[in-house]
Amino acid sequence: MNVLIKSATIVDSKSDFHNDTCDILIEKGVITQIQKTITAPSKTKEISLENLHVSQGWFDNSVSFGEPGYEERETIANGLRTAALSGFTDVAVNSNTNPVIDSYADISFLKGKSQDNAVNLFPIGALTKHSEGEDLAELYDMKNAGAIAFYDYQKPIRNPNLMKLALQYASNFDALVYSFPQESQISGLGVMNENVMSTSLGLKGNPSLAEELQIVRDLFLLEYTGGKLHIPTISTAKSVELIRDAKARKLDVSCSVAIHNLILTDDELKTFNTRFKVLPPLRTKSDCNALIEGLKDGTIDMVTSDHNPLDIEHKKIEFDYAKNGTIGLESAFGALNSIFTIKKTIELLTKGKERYGLNSTPIAVGQKAKLTLFNPSETYTLTKDLLHSSSKNSIFEEHQLKGKVYGIYSNHQLVIK
Amino acid sequence: MSELSVNHLLGIKYLNSQDIQLIFETADHFKEVINRPIKKVPSLRDITIANLFFENSTRTKLSFELAEKRLSADVINFSASQSSVKKGETLIDTVNNILSMKVDMVVMRHPNPGASVFLSQHVNASIINAGDGAHEHPTQALLDSYSIRERLGQVQGKNVVIVGDILHSRVALSNIFALQLQGANVMVCGPKTLLPKYIDKLGVKVETNLKKALQWCDVANMLRVQNERMDMTYFPSTREYTQQYGVNSALLNSLDKEITIMHPGPINRGVEITSDVADSKQAIILDQVQNGVAIRMAVIYLLASKIKH
Repeated sequence: MNVLIKSATIVDSKSDFHNDTCDILIEKGVITQIQKTITAPSKTKEISLENLHVSQGWFDNSVSFGEPGYEERETIANGLRTAALSGFTDVAVNSNTNPVIDSYADISFLKGKSQDNAVNLFPIGALTKHSEGEDLAELYDMKNAGAIAFYDYQKPIRNPNLMKLALQYASNFDALVYSFPQESQISGLGVMNENVMSTSLGLKGNPSLAEELQIVRDLFLLEYTGGKLHIPTISTAKSVELIRDAKARKLDVSCSVAIHNLILTDDELKTFNTRFKVLPPLRTKSDCNALIEGLKDGTIDMVTSDHNPLDIEHKKIEFDYAKNGTIGLESAFGALNSIFTIKKTIELLTKGKERYGLNSTPIAVGQKAKLTLFNPSETYTLTKDLLHSSSKNSIFEEHQLKGKVYGIYSNHQLVIK
Repeated sequence: MSELSVNHLLGIKYLNSQDIQLIFETADHFKEVINRPIKKVPSLRDITIANLFFENSTRTKLSFELAEKRLSADVINFSASQSSVKKGETLIDTVNNILSMKVDMVVMRHPNPGASVFLSQHVNASIINAGDGAHEHPTQALLDSYSIRERLGQVQGKNVVIVGDILHSRVALSNIFALQLQGANVMVCGPKTLLPKYIDKLGVKVETNLKKALQWCDVANMLRVQNERMDMTYFPSTREYTQQYGVNSALLNSLDKEITIMHPGPINRGVEITSDVADSKQAIILDQVQNGVAIRMAVIYLLASKIKH
C-alpha cells in the first residue's frame, strides 16, 4: 500500500528534517519524498491526524508473550498487534514460555509465527537448558536460527562458574549474554523492596544489596572472561554507579532499566496492590533519580517496558502468591514522555538496537519506511478499556500519561488505531 | 464521637487516636459486663460472624469466639491448616461462599501479610484482622495498650520496649503503631538478625542490649521467638538467645525501678521469660488475656453498629 502522511512533525535528531513539519510519501515500503506539501498520487492512502508526529520505529528489548504455553496471557499475534498500536516496530521477545525457548526449533517457531507481521520479532533464547540454571543451552544453534541474545528471563544464574563459562563460550561467536541481577540467597523470599514500607507492611524485603552483589560478581567475571554482557532491568542507585565505573574501565557491558522503575516507588505498595508487584521491585525516589541520571549520561544504554502479561488469576490473590510483572507496551511512551522531553523520549525509545547488531532506519528519502506515528501532547488517564493486551495487569492503570500513539508504518504495512 | 472512622479493623495503622479512645471506653463497659454473674448482653442478636482461621490459633480464636458469644452474635468457625490456594480455591471464593450464607462479619487469621486488606477490597462484609503474617495483629496491640492503661493509668509518655523476634512479629508492628498513636515512646530490642534493617525509620529506638533496654523502660513486652516463620537459623541456639534476651528475676532486681512485664502468649518458660518472672506481680500476662475478651467485644460491637447503619 502506498501511503502519504500529511503534515507530520519529524522527531529524529539524525534526520535533516528534524523538527520540520512535512508530508512523507511512502511507495512500495520506501520513503520516496519528504516535502512541505506533496499531492497524493493515485491509489495512495492519505493519513492526516491531529498534532501528528513521526519518528523512527521504536524498539523494546524485553517483551514477554505467552505463546507457546501461556496463550491465555498473550498470543504472539495479539502481542505484536499491541506492540504496533503502542508504536513499536521491533521487539525482542523473552524465552519465558512453556516450553522455554531454548532450541533451534523453538527460535524457528517464533520467527515463523511472526513472519510477514508489521512488527519484527527478535527472539531471545534461554541461556541454560529449560532456564534451569544447570547447563548451557545450544546457544550457537539458536543464534543461527535468529536468536539475538541469551537470557533466562528474570532467573539469576546462581552458579558463578556457569556464568563464567557462558561468557567465555558465547564470545566464540560474539553473542550477547544476559545476567539477571539478583543474588538469590540475599533476595531470599523477598516480595518487595526492603525499606521502611516493607517493614511497615510486614512483607519480606528484597534488598538492593541482592542486585548490587550480583552485578559486582558479574563485572568481575566479565573482566576475567572478556565477551559481551548485558544486565537487564537494573533498579538501584548503586547499580548505576557500578556500571558507570565498569564502563569507565572499558568493560563490554550494557544495561537496561524498566520504565516503571524510573517513575514509581515502593510507596505504591501501601495497599498491598499486586499490580505494583514487579521484579526488580519498585525502589525509592532516590533510586528513580539515579536511574534517570544514568540514562541521561549514557550509563544505562536503553529502556524497556519489560512487558509481561499475566492473567487475573495470578494477580487477584494474596500478595505473597501473586506473580511479578506488568504489561508495559501501551504505557511506555506516555510514561516516558511525562518525565522526559519529547526529543529524549524518542531517543530512548529508538535506542539499543546496535547492541544486538540490528540496523536503524533513518527518516530519509530512499530509506525503508519504518515509522512510529504519535501525538506527544495529549494527556490522559490509562484505563483498562484502552489496553490492547489480552492481560490487563498494567502498573500504570489509573496513572496520568502524556502522549498518545497512533500506530506504525513498517514492513509495507500501516497499523493504526 | 461515637463511631469508628473505619468499617474494618485491618490494622492499627488505619486507625486514629480517637478510634483507640472509643474502643477503650467501650471495652471498659464490656469489662464490667464480663465480670457480672450473667456475662452476656443481647447487643448483636442479629449479627452472624464467621471466624476464618487459615493458620493455627488457640487463644486468639477462643478469645474472639467468647467475645462474639457474650455479645449474643451467631458464630460459625472455619479452620484450614493449609492455605486456600494450596487447596485449589482462592481466598475470595472461599470467603464469598461463606458470605452467601448471610454472614455479616469475618474475623480472619491468615499467614500472608495483607490478606485481610486484600479481602476487604473484594468482599462485602466487615473484616477484622486476627493476624496476617508478619503484618498486623490489631486486637492484640489494643489489648496490650489497654492493659498498660489499666496498670499505669495512661499510655501517653510511657517508655515501652518490645523484646525479641521483631522481624517475624505482627504483634510488634501493631504495638509500635498503637503505642505511637497514644504518645508512648517505643523501643525494640533483640539480636540484629531478628530486627528489620529499617525498623528505626518507623520512629522507634533500637537497642541490642536487654539490660539497657529494661533500664530505659516502664513496660517490657516480651515476644516469643517465632520459629515457625523462620526460613533459616537467625541465632545459634536457644541457650544463647536466653543468655542475651531472656528476662529473669536477677535481671529485674538489678534495675533501679520496678517495671511491668507483658507477654502476648504463648509463653516459652525459661526461654524469653523465666517462670518466677511470668508468675510475679510485675507481670500482667493474665490481665492481658482477660482484657482481650473485653477489647474484642468492643471492636466487634463498634464495627457491627456501623453495619446496621
